Amino acid sequence: MEFNNCSPIYLQIIDSIKQDVVVGKLKTGQKMPSVRELAGKIKVNPNTIQRVYQELEREKITFTKRGMGTYLTDEEKIIKLLEEEISDKIIQEFINGMNKLGFSNDKIIGILQEYL
Amino acid sequence: MITLLKYEIYRRWKWLVIRYAALIILGLIFFNRASASPMQYDIIAASMGKFFLISIIAFAIIIVEGINMLKEDLFESSGYLTFTLPKSERSILFAKNFLLFVQLFLWALVSIQFGTMFLKLLPLEEVSRYMAEIDLPVYPAILFVLTAFFNFVLMVQFSLTLTRTLLYRNKYSGIISVGIFFLLAYLIENFYYGPFLNQIKHAYIEIGTSSASNIDLLSGGYTAVFLNIILAIIFFTATAYLLENKINI
Amino acid sequence: MEYILTTKQLSKYFYQKKALEKVDINIEKGKIYGILGPNGGGKSTLLKLAAGLLKPSGGEITIDNKNPGVYTKSIVSYLPEANYFYKWMKIRDALNFFKDFYDDFDMERARKSIEFMKLEEKEKITSLSKGMLGRLKLALALSRKAKLYLLDEPLNGIDPVSREKIITSILDAFNKKSTIIICSHLIYYIEKLLDYVFFLSEGQIILAGEAEDLRNKRGISIDRLYQEVFQ
Repeated sequence: MEFNNCSPIYLQIIDSIKQDVVVGKLKTGQKMPSVRELAGKIKVNPNTIQRVYQELEREKITFTKRGMGTYLTDEEKIIKLLEEEISDKIIQEFINGMNKLGFSNDKIIGILQEYL
Repeated sequence: MITLLKYEIYRRWKWLVIRYAALIILGLIFFNRASASPMQYDIIAASMGKFFLISIIAFAIIIVEGINMLKEDLFESSGYLTFTLPKSERSILFAKNFLLFVQLFLWALVSIQFGTMFLKLLPLEEVSRYMAEIDLPVYPAILFVLTAFFNFVLMVQFSLTLTRTLLYRNKYSGIISVGIFFLLAYLIENFYYGPFLNQIKHAYIEIGTSSASNIDLLSGGYTAVFLNIILAIIFFTATAYLLENKINI
Repeated sequence: MEYILTTKQLSKYFYQKKALEKVDINIEKGKIYGILGPNGGGKSTLLKLAAGLLKPSGGEITIDNKNPGVYTKSIVSYLPEANYFYKWMKIRDALNFFKDFYDDFDMERARKSIEFMKLEEKEKITSLSKGMLGRLKLALALSRKAKLYLLDEPLNGIDPVSREKIITSILDAFNKKSTIIICSHLIYYIEKLLDYVFFLSEGQIILAGEAEDLRNKRGISIDRLYQEVFQ
């Protein structure tokens, strides 16, 4: 898990986990590492990890089974939503980047067609 | 306090054993030499003299060690460990000085025991004649010397602590604490013992004229010891106060 | 809110020097704090006041609502920058020493920590390198179940491998009932550990805030922020 110190770390970790879910690195229904485990693994403050898990739970990406730990959701529609969210983000970033370089939206469509 | 004492002993237990074993063994060796030549007073005196020397060296080592016990925690980084222990500064100081006291007691016990053994080898008449001339109350004198030297260490400890309190990390600390020590010694000499010693002198002059004054001098001797004990308590309390409330490590 | 450490207008003067000037701080339980700043800025002084080694010149400092004393020393684990071990000790002696004096010392944890730091009990303190001493100090300090850990420059003079071990140890020691305060000027390595930071310079707090908040607002790392502030 790579991230930098220039923006809130908990957001970066959340993004990273979301990506892992979409890509399939994390299997649906999989048990998540405990707060302490994950904190130790990526060398981050446990309170930050706690915040990550709270946020993931709020977005219903994870759920907690009493006494057993935190698990990744296996609900299809949530995963689908995630996929959309992530791809939206990447596309938005791409468009913003291209716009910054001076490419109009029409031109972008044209370039993409050629490329793909 | 027990734990503190345990470590004060543990850290130097080998030295302690060597010190007293050497004192006793050498004492026995010299005594053997002396008692092996019963009438040769020059040999007896020589052996006695050598033991006396060994005894003084042991004494000096005990005194210096007593001073260093506090000095190293005041001036070296080990102070960070000692003074963050969950023990009052008073008990830390007490443990160190208790060991010092016990050592002085042991030293006195061994030295006096051998001293008496050596003296018994000398002809009785000479000894009693010698003692009568001096008319010295023995036990108070010994106690006085012991408590005086114990106070010496406590005074040095106080001087060091005061210096450390006033001067946070200064290269002149050593000289200044010596200065403070001599100042204290002077004050005590003149204002504490002075008046008392004058009384002793008067009592002494009277002795020449009357014979019922042994008791006076005896009690005078013990009074001096009592004064020393008071002084010891004062210095200990003052040092502990500085350590608890004023000092910056 | 229950604070483990509070200072009110805390000041400390050394003759001409103002080490701390009317500092107000509240430290919560269960968090990791960073006190960052240049050398001589007052970081060590603040830690020493909390450890009970220095006495305040003005204001007050309380740990668990008590003034520094025997009780606070029993719940505070202080890691100085200096080598504070007695020269006569072996590592084994140091372990037993901590066990004898501190009720909250966990011998099992300490032994595992010593092993983790690649140290052996039979080694003499005087034969240890600076790096080894740093690891030993930390292993002992963190093996106490203290309410407040005060770590003064734990990463100074430490090689990269040991540094990772130290960071791991700090994370292992963390729990909701304890608080860890780290003083360091090597911010890059520790900033991911910090909940909250204080920037201390010339005896005063010139910046304070939650680490993530500062990153969000300023868009830069704490390390970069430090460089900007202290330029």
